[in-house]
Amino acid sequence: MTGWGKYVVGALIVAIVAHIVAIHAAPRLRMNIAIERLSADGFNRWTFAERVTPASRQIVRPSPDFAYSACAYDLSEGPVILAAAPWDSYWSLSLYAANSDNFFVVDDREAHYGAEITLVQRGRPHPEGASQVVESPSQRGVALIRRLAPSPETYSAAANVAREDVCASVAGLAG
Amino acid sequence: MLRQVLTWAAATLIGAILGVASAWAALEFGRAGFTEKFGAWTHSSAAGAADAGPYTRAIVARDGLLALSAREALYFTLSEDENGRPLDESCIYELSGPPLAARWWSVTLYARDNFLVQNNDHAGSIDASRLGLSTAWSVRIAPVRGNTPHWLSSRSAGRDFSLTLRVYNPQREFRLSAESLPTLTTVSCSESS
Repeated sequence: MTGWGKYVVGALIVAIVAHIVAIHAAPRLRMNIAIERLSADGFNRWTFAERVTPASRQIVRPSPDFAYSACAYDLSEGPVILAAAPWDSYWSLSLYAANSDNFFVVDDREAHYGAEITLVQRGRPHPEGASQVVESPSQRGVALIRRLAPSPETYSAAANVAREDVCASVAGLAG
Repeated sequence: MLRQVLTWAAATLIGAILGVASAWAALEFGRAGFTEKFGAWTHSSAAGAADAGPYTRAIVARDGLLALSAREALYFTLSEDENGRPLDESCIYELSGPPLAARWWSVTLYARDNFLVQNNDHAGSIDASRLGLSTAWSVRIAPVRGNTPHWLSSRSAGRDFSLTLRVYNPQREFRLSAESLPTLTTVSCSESS
């Protein structure tokens, strides 16, 4: 190839690679930012969010109907136990991988008395005796509990119930 | 030699810019593929989709990061009145809906900046716990409550505000159609509009 042709072909190859990298990196970057924010006080612990009001400016179009608990999990030291205490209205526990995939969800229709799962990184051995094991496609990710709490009274009640939730490394619990 | 190096550097830079710009364009225009219109309501199926291809995942991460899957919740947005005009604080609207075949639903009013409106009316959202699940319902959208039993406050919302309808645990009977969703009617507009 002579003249400008090789430069044009080179630019096109770089463009294709940059396009693919950007498409794959975009969701991971967004999740990394979310994980970083949610792990400000450390991994494997629940953070109960303040009630959404007109002063809430962190997330666009926030839902004022829910009480949110979030846990940024890290499976580098082994499995993590996640438990959601039951709530007398709609609630759900959702798990999001580092690439933003919502890879697991359970709600009160399936888990009337609350949920307890053991989260294991995909490909790692399952702990013996664990009741419900869920495999995470990534080492880090986000667990979210939503409890329907549209009034200040129900929100306060949800805050009390959320104290019973568990997000903890099995190694930490054993220690 | 130096000229060749510089030309390769320029080609690489142009290629990288083209690649990133085309990725941005693919996501921007790809959003339309996830949007459906039902009457005046816009429904995005991007929220909460999972285990998809790289383009779908990138669009979901941008428009519905950490959102619930469609099995858990459906999201609809309304930003125009029945005549296609932007929603305006100087108008009074009536939002009327049939019983929604779902476990629970809510309608929330957002200002143009996509946040809850900066007022202290505590009337930015209304839900099935107040309006019921089994009967037809109606909500007044206005800057002042007046004598209406169910009110969404548009005070300080200005022009271009919007509504989001969230339908949780939709049942099998719930149909994605304009007939199964609430209807907005303009009651009146003040002279300034």
